[in-house]
Amino acid sequence: MSLTEFHEHPGLYFVAATLLPLGSFVLLLLASAVRAFIRPYQEERGGDVVTPPRWPAFVATGAIALAFVLCLVASFDFFSDHHKLQDAEEAVRTAPPAEKEAKEHEAEKLAQQTEERWNGHWTWLSLSMGGRVLQLGYHIDHLSVIMFLMVTLIATLIHIYSIGYMGDELQPMVEDHQVHTADGHLRRRGRFGRFFLFLSLFCFSMLNLVLADNFFQVFISWELVGLCSYLLIGFYYERRSASTAANKAFITNRVGDAGFILGLLIIFAYFGTFNFQDVFAQVRSPFEDAHSHENKKTLERGGEIVRAEWHTTEEGKRLLQVSERGTGGEVVLFPAKPVMDGVGTAGQTVPLRAGARKPERDYGTIPYWMLVVAGLGIFLGCVGKSAQFPLHVWLPDAMEGPTPVSALIHAATMVAAGVYLVGRVFPLFTPEARLTIAYTGGITLFVAATIALVMTDIKKVLAYSTVSQLGYMMLALGVGGWVAGLFHLITHAFFKALLFLGSGSVIYGCHHEQEMTRMGGLYPKMKITALTMLAGVLAIAGIPFFSGWYSKDAILAQALGYVMAHKQHGLLFLLPLATAGITTFYMFRMWFMTFTGEPRDQHVHEHAHESPWLMTVPLIILAMFSIGVAWAWPVLGALEQHIHHAQPLAVQADFGSLEAGSSEAERWPGGVRIGLPERQNAQAYHELAGWVATGIVLVSIIFASLVYWRRYQVLDPAETKEQFPRLYAFLVHKWYFDELYSAILVRPALVVAQAARWFDAVVIDGIANGLGRAGVLLSRWDGIFDARIIDGLVNVMADACYSLGGRLRAVQTGSLRSYILFLALAAVAIFVVLTYFVTRALAG
Amino acid sequence: MPLMFAESELPETGLTPYLILGALLFVCGVVCMATKRNAIGVLMGVELVLNGANVNFVAFAAFNPAFQLEGQIFSLFVIVLAAAEAAVALAIVLNFYNNHMTVDVDTAEELKG
Repeated sequence: MSLTEFHEHPGLYFVAATLLPLGSFVLLLLASAVRAFIRPYQEERGGDVVTPPRWPAFVATGAIALAFVLCLVASFDFFSDHHKLQDAEEAVRTAPPAEKEAKEHEAEKLAQQTEERWNGHWTWLSLSMGGRVLQLGYHIDHLSVIMFLMVTLIATLIHIYSIGYMGDELQPMVEDHQVHTADGHLRRRGRFGRFFLFLSLFCFSMLNLVLADNFFQVFISWELVGLCSYLLIGFYYERRSASTAANKAFITNRVGDAGFILGLLIIFAYFGTFNFQDVFAQVRSPFEDAHSHENKKTLERGGEIVRAEWHTTEEGKRLLQVSERGTGGEVVLFPAKPVMDGVGTAGQTVPLRAGARKPERDYGTIPYWMLVVAGLGIFLGCVGKSAQFPLHVWLPDAMEGPTPVSALIHAATMVAAGVYLVGRVFPLFTPEARLTIAYTGGITLFVAATIALVMTDIKKVLAYSTVSQLGYMMLALGVGGWVAGLFHLITHAFFKALLFLGSGSVIYGCHHEQEMTRMGGLYPKMKITALTMLAGVLAIAGIPFFSGWYSKDAILAQALGYVMAHKQHGLLFLLPLATAGITTFYMFRMWFMTFTGEPRDQHVHEHAHESPWLMTVPLIILAMFSIGVAWAWPVLGALEQHIHHAQPLAVQADFGSLEAGSSEAERWPGGVRIGLPERQNAQAYHELAGWVATGIVLVSIIFASLVYWRRYQVLDPAETKEQFPRLYAFLVHKWYFDELYSAILVRPALVVAQAARWFDAVVIDGIANGLGRAGVLLSRWDGIFDARIIDGLVNVMADACYSLGGRLRAVQTGSLRSYILFLALAAVAIFVVLTYFVTRALAG
Repeated sequence: MPLMFAESELPETGLTPYLILGALLFVCGVVCMATKRNAIGVLMGVELVLNGANVNFVAFAAFNPAFQLEGQIFSLFVIVLAAAEAAVALAIVLNFYNNHMTVDVDTAEELKG
């Protein structure tokens, strides 16, 4: 691939950025293989275990940093392309009627060029059935660009941080204090290189997921991401808790992936393609049909899912007719390429063609419930990956991995994959699916936040807060706050990465102590960590002008707008609102317990120290992003606006109108949409929601300060704990989810397994053993038969031959003359016999 | 008087005298083989047997038109074979003589079973 190709298709920069970590992974894998071969010889010669080398860290970090630079360069190109496009559209609007058509042509041509520059795909596999192909491809829009920048930047910082944090692994022999063997603690080789090997693969998988332009490629990356998280959670696999947590994460994700596969099957069966754009073009009505400019007809239900019903005419012909909004058992699948005659008015007949459907040019149908199942299936995959209720149980356990991994996988990127995918495939979701998403998010955010209130492990608090924040994003997406949800995804990624790395710095400084009940008063010892973490806490709490404030406000406003239009779903606003307060409370609780007050454990406090610059510098950079990413996106400019560019039109079709006069409203045939007022409400209630939320947050801060800052003076947490023992136990046991799953899933599974084992041991083994025994018995009889009868027969024959031969020996006298005598006599005898027979024959 | 007869003047002898001659030669040969202790004598007996057979072949060839060619060719074969056989047998006898200083076949008993 030459450089000019990169110039013509700058989307390839992102492909290159994706492949860089893969290159690093392959290189490190080869190196490790080589090392595994030569290590025994090295050790033989040196007599001692070899120190792990440091260079894998530089390779991996270099790869991801270079990927970041590539993304940055390409993103400038991308944004300038889109500015040009916007200018062209603006020119169409302002042009006098005479020039309008020419300008329109120009704008269309430019749009097509841009499309070509930032999209591409290659055939990967041709399937024999119906000439379908699986493709690998890339699709770059505003969302992918921002995700790319976010992932590569955070990953780079985490790589740098890990060089410091994983320093222990550079020793030839590491002693794991948490694993006890017969002779003391476990001693094992350092695994510095392995950590970066996994990180590289993880980065590749995540970037490939964002890059992909089709479901199948996403699914591959999806599974790779799951694999990497399994490997990294189980990094200290000698610890039983770590290996169990890795299994739990993997198995829980399997449940979600089963749904994902189901969704993929439905999509491929009905849509005939995996490509995002082609699928969405089929399920959502186009805005206008493909007539020439002056005759162009806008379609009534542009951007919507058009439902239809079968009717039988008087002649007995079955026709598919478009039904009223919200009714009809079939969904019309539109041709992927624009056609001359669109459908969209109730009662109109869908021009179905007989025979096999070509998705590019033919109309088709899919049963409505099937589309619901496909949406829910894919959402189930996202539930697993983004740790939503009821599959949220794996994420807190996943804190067994090294802390940078927690930051990378369980805050910024992997769990983001689920939210990202929900955003990406939004056009596929039916109203039922969207409501499920909203409620799942609502339940998750509340449940997780309440659990976080009582956790004492610093990483567990953050883990539950991650689950809770992901719930916010899902809720936002479910109630039509597409921009708000993904906006929160980006801001959250920065401040959660910051918080995790900060907690890692605390843990590192306190010599791997994670319990907050043994910390306290650490502020003077680690000022940089404390202050940067405070920035993260303020951001997640939603203090004005921190990035979290903007995104959380957007979500709350969206939820309020939705609830105002659908009063029966009031919980969808009350839960996030209450949780905003709870979030603030537990985050401040964590900060106060760690950094202020009297040291609770003198030993830990005395040995505590600030982390090296390799770890604090990423913290500082992330703190800056946590504060400013919302309003100072890449050096001033609202991040929300950028995300807004990527919003699929389906969101507006489903959730209502646009501000009159905005550029989207112009692009929207029919202008402002009526009857779906959530979006307007969101605008109207933005201030109200903001004020209420900020008020709750401030109250929570005061409350938290009273309880945990000036400890033991106003309110004693221990006393509160004693006053509500049931509630406390309920929360500390995480709403008994693990116990519940253990009772309804694990234990029955074990019982079934026991039964199966019994069946196996008694019945199957019994049959096998019986057969075996019968075989032995039979062969014993067979042996006797063989030895006595067969051998006997053979021996008797042989003996008979032998004795006969012995007797006949005498005939061989060796005397020539006697032979001749015999010969003559025999000849005479033959002659006599022959004569006898011949005479008889002649006579007869 | 020249010993020349016209064909019609020949006495009608028929097949039987030839067969009697062949049988006589054969029996002489067999008796010779069975009784002689000298190996050369045994070989002579063999020749007699072969020639007895030859007489039969030739006689049949003469009297049975169906065997006209075959009888003659077989007798030629037998002559050639007899020559070959005599050469081999004489070689064996010579070797035997070299090893045992005698040609008495009764002393040649090494092949006894």
